[in-house]
Amino acid sequence: MMCVPKFKKLVETLRLAIFLVLSIVFSLASAKEPVTLRFTVWDGDESLKIVRNVLKEFEKQNPDIKVKLENFADYNMYHQKMMVMYAANCAPDVAMMDMGHFQALATRKALLPLNKFFAETPGFNIKEYYEPIVKVHTLNNNLYVLPRDIAPEGLIYYNKKAFDEAGIPYPDGSWTWDFKERPELKEKDFLWVMHQLTKVGKDGKTSRYGFTAGWPGELVDSFMYSYGIKAVDNDQHPTKILYNSPDMFKVYNFYCDLALKKKWIPSNQEVSSVLQSTTQQLFVQQKVAMYQNGIWEVPNMRKMLKPGSKEFFEWDIALYPACAKDIHGKEHRAFPTGGSGYSIFSSTKYPEEAWRLTKFMSGPVAMRAMAQAGIAQPAIRRLALEPGVWVPGPNTPKEQMYPANRLATDQAVPFVEFGATAEYMPEVFSLIDGRRDSIYNGILPVEKALKEGTQEAQTRLDQLLKEEDLAPFSWPAGIAVGLAVVVGILAFIYWPERKVKYTYREKRESVAAYKFISPWLIGICVFTVGPMVLSLLMSTMKWDMIRDAQWRGAGNFTEAFTQDPRFWVSMKVTILFTLLSTPVGIIFAFLLSLLLNQKIRGVPLFRSMYYMPSITSAVALTLVARKVFAPEGILNAVLYSKVFHPIGEFISKAAGTPTEQVNWFGNEHTAMPALILLGLLGVGGSMVILLAGLQGIPTYYYEAATVDGANPFQRMKAITVPLLTPALFFCLITGFIGAFQVFTQVFIITNGPNGGPNNSMLVFMISVFSAAFTTFRMGYAAALAWVLFFIVLIFTLLQLRMSKWVYYETDAK
Amino acid sequence: MRNNMSVQTELDRYRAATRRSERINLLLKVLLWIVMLTGAAVFMTPFYLMIVMSLKTPAEIAATTAWDIPKNPTLENFSLVLTNPNVSFFGFFKNSLFVAIMSTTGVLVSSALVAYPFSRLKFRGRDRLFLLLLATMMLPGVVTMIPTYVVYKYLHWVDTFYPLWVPAWFGGGAFNIFLLRQFFMGIPRELDEAAILDGANHSVIFWRIIMPLSGPALATVGIFAFNYNWRDFMGPLLYLNSPEKQTLELGLQTYRALNNEQWNLMMAGAVLVMIPLVVLFVAGQRWFVKGIVMTGGK
Repeated sequence: MMCVPKFKKLVETLRLAIFLVLSIVFSLASAKEPVTLRFTVWDGDESLKIVRNVLKEFEKQNPDIKVKLENFADYNMYHQKMMVMYAANCAPDVAMMDMGHFQALATRKALLPLNKFFAETPGFNIKEYYEPIVKVHTLNNNLYVLPRDIAPEGLIYYNKKAFDEAGIPYPDGSWTWDFKERPELKEKDFLWVMHQLTKVGKDGKTSRYGFTAGWPGELVDSFMYSYGIKAVDNDQHPTKILYNSPDMFKVYNFYCDLALKKKWIPSNQEVSSVLQSTTQQLFVQQKVAMYQNGIWEVPNMRKMLKPGSKEFFEWDIALYPACAKDIHGKEHRAFPTGGSGYSIFSSTKYPEEAWRLTKFMSGPVAMRAMAQAGIAQPAIRRLALEPGVWVPGPNTPKEQMYPANRLATDQAVPFVEFGATAEYMPEVFSLIDGRRDSIYNGILPVEKALKEGTQEAQTRLDQLLKEEDLAPFSWPAGIAVGLAVVVGILAFIYWPERKVKYTYREKRESVAAYKFISPWLIGICVFTVGPMVLSLLMSTMKWDMIRDAQWRGAGNFTEAFTQDPRFWVSMKVTILFTLLSTPVGIIFAFLLSLLLNQKIRGVPLFRSMYYMPSITSAVALTLVARKVFAPEGILNAVLYSKVFHPIGEFISKAAGTPTEQVNWFGNEHTAMPALILLGLLGVGGSMVILLAGLQGIPTYYYEAATVDGANPFQRMKAITVPLLTPALFFCLITGFIGAFQVFTQVFIITNGPNGGPNNSMLVFMISVFSAAFTTFRMGYAAALAWVLFFIVLIFTLLQLRMSKWVYYETDAK
Repeated sequence: MRNNMSVQTELDRYRAATRRSERINLLLKVLLWIVMLTGAAVFMTPFYLMIVMSLKTPAEIAATTAWDIPKNPTLENFSLVLTNPNVSFFGFFKNSLFVAIMSTTGVLVSSALVAYPFSRLKFRGRDRLFLLLLATMMLPGVVTMIPTYVVYKYLHWVDTFYPLWVPAWFGGGAFNIFLLRQFFMGIPRELDEAAILDGANHSVIFWRIIMPLSGPALATVGIFAFNYNWRDFMGPLLYLNSPEKQTLELGLQTYRALNNEQWNLMMAGAVLVMIPLVVLFVAGQRWFVKGIVMTGGK
């Protein structure tokens, strides 16, 4: 009995403990669970750091929201991933967006209009944001992207030292340009300044150019906009392409005059010889005195031009000149712009929380942080003008003082122009773009190139705009067809053998075989058959991955064969590439593997060296493409040397630029050979396969042959080649399949889904990719892909038919 | 005596001939060596450019050409890439390693299993199933991307590593199956038949005869599979969302953002990413060099 009170005490304590635990659990459960928002950006290292810090601040201020940051720095692939996620119904809540991509999503109701949120948010005033950047993200009076920054391309970075040496006062933005130089205006004439700053060396070559822009298109577009003309009649809903006009010819001829005749601007040739995707390096190396681009160049510029270092020179920015007389005879200032912001996907479950996040990330705290780091000009004008935030103030550290004239970025905003934002325009423009490269290279006359390009592009645009009256896709019918296809495949596999009788032993072998291949059969059922059959159904659809699919029948295929000018071009390019690159690659790999199979000192090291490019990052291979195949590249250094120069001159003539060293990837005649040559660097894979094949040849065959008196050549013919045929056959089949689908190399070299000069590298997969993820025509892309599938299938079947030359030990009896 | 003399001269003559042929051999070897060295120089250019650039500061990259040897080589880029808390190199490294090892193992096991019957067994529909196998390589992935994504979504595999390595265990890809099938077909059938007479079943033949004789082919497939998964960009891009789950190839893109390309860091990262692949290749090479002396023949 003594223990009773103790026991009671224990019960009491336990009861208390349980009560406490339960009450904590209940109070936790009753408190609102924080909402988790998925937030996606394409920021790189430097701005990502800032975004992370700002998000921490946001979570502190909004304890009911947790933010899960997802970052994908590859800009092209970022948008592709957004599409795939949205189509699969797992898009993020808030995502970074820009003018080139929002419209396609907004017209399909994938983004939430933000206007209703403004109205409900006290203290929020959209008028604080720069008006042009708000306007460009507005569609049918609804804003879909809340801008975080604006980046007018109307800034001229200039080298103060160069101005001092030439005795020209620094530009104050009041200068103008005209199609002719006006020496009487002196520093007020942009062309005169450009001329004065151009330095010619003793060899008659230009040693410093007066001016250039980030890329030739930026340069020409700025001339075009300030001359008062545009590329299309309406940016959001273009119906007419305006490249075929005398005014446009005048602008392009002006560029050719400056770059190819006067040489005050570096030509495309010189530009291809620099490292980065932009020409910034020319400015840093003092090879150009003035350089037009957006403000985003500043962080890198500061790193390259550290005050006190020997590379350093004084520099600043000025406003891009106005055109003295535009088509209406008036002074007119205009240039393209960049900029980005945040959107809310309409699939979000928490619109209110998503808006709070969007508002914060495109709000003062985030903008100040970005601006102070010199990364982005705030989209809110008040912040852009606040001293010490964007415009340097008294406390700004010295290295952040550059560029001092940051007010120019604010002055530039009213004059920005936007290109076409409709998603079908990249495809339409690609028909002109290829020809534009040929203009920049001086291969095609301006009038001819623009006229033909416009005709082709306009025809394509009309086709794309044609409204079709289509019925919704019937999914029950689709599933029935899909099942029929699967049954058809099974029948194709088993029907021909239905009468073959198996003996008991053969039956047992058959069962064992199926056990062995069962992982593959399961895998193909779970992961492969469904998606393949679905994509076959897709080829009969009109489907943009967002709206409901419509039934288009054979429409996608007839469009490809009869209407799409890119189809036949890309077919020709791809077949040419495949037929050339695969055999060349295999022969090369074969010779290499024979060489590396020798018993010579250092061979293991050599094998690794030859395999190296196959494991090198794609970016490094791009570097090679740029540095080896550039006009001043190492390949040309050999070809145009004293010994080989007849070859070089011959190539120059064949390329249509007889007076210059050939610009391999910039010239429509040489881009394909260069692509094939570059592909040879990746021959290491086939080489390894063939080496493994050589190792599999029993040595006693050679011993026996040597004893019989066979010379090395006979041994090669009678032993090595026949026993290597299985491996060679493998390389041939997979080589063809791979070459038909070549994509990444071209995508990297042409910097996105482009076809290169005059579409000479427009391989089929680039067409498929851009149809799917640039133009959002997934049905059409699927049709193209299935056309490719059948072509590859026919090629493969032919090779299998003709495979009598392959010698298998298992067949030898 | 005379006899001895003539043997002596014969021997001398023989020795001279050997010496001559040795000299010719040596000359040939030197010639071959020069050819190989020239080729190697060409093939090493990408790596040279990477290394050189990874040792320069941004200022030096801007001021020099890509070919120039760094004047003041610095390891600063490497230490930045390795220690940047914003872009966690070792976190990515761990993820890449996990994915690459899991899928390479899967590929090795399952593609060999599947290749075996295709190379030497008779079963219903074999040749047309093989065509089906090849056909799975022929359709561009761009158009099966969304349906595949939906499949993984229903399996609740989005933002996990499963889509990156589990499929490897189900066949290991047509490329690898085809490759191994070609090599298995080079193994004389007498070996199996002898084994069958001894009462062996197919799994014994597979594990005891085929696999041990396929060292070079398996090493090749292993190296390819590891490289492919280590380098894969599209898979991780599509299926991984969380930053801490990113692989090296995906995560290091952060140095390559739009309008903010940091070539010095990109190249330092690229060099670091390559190191395991080089190590693997050098180690795997042992298999090629050693070769397989088959004892099963006559």
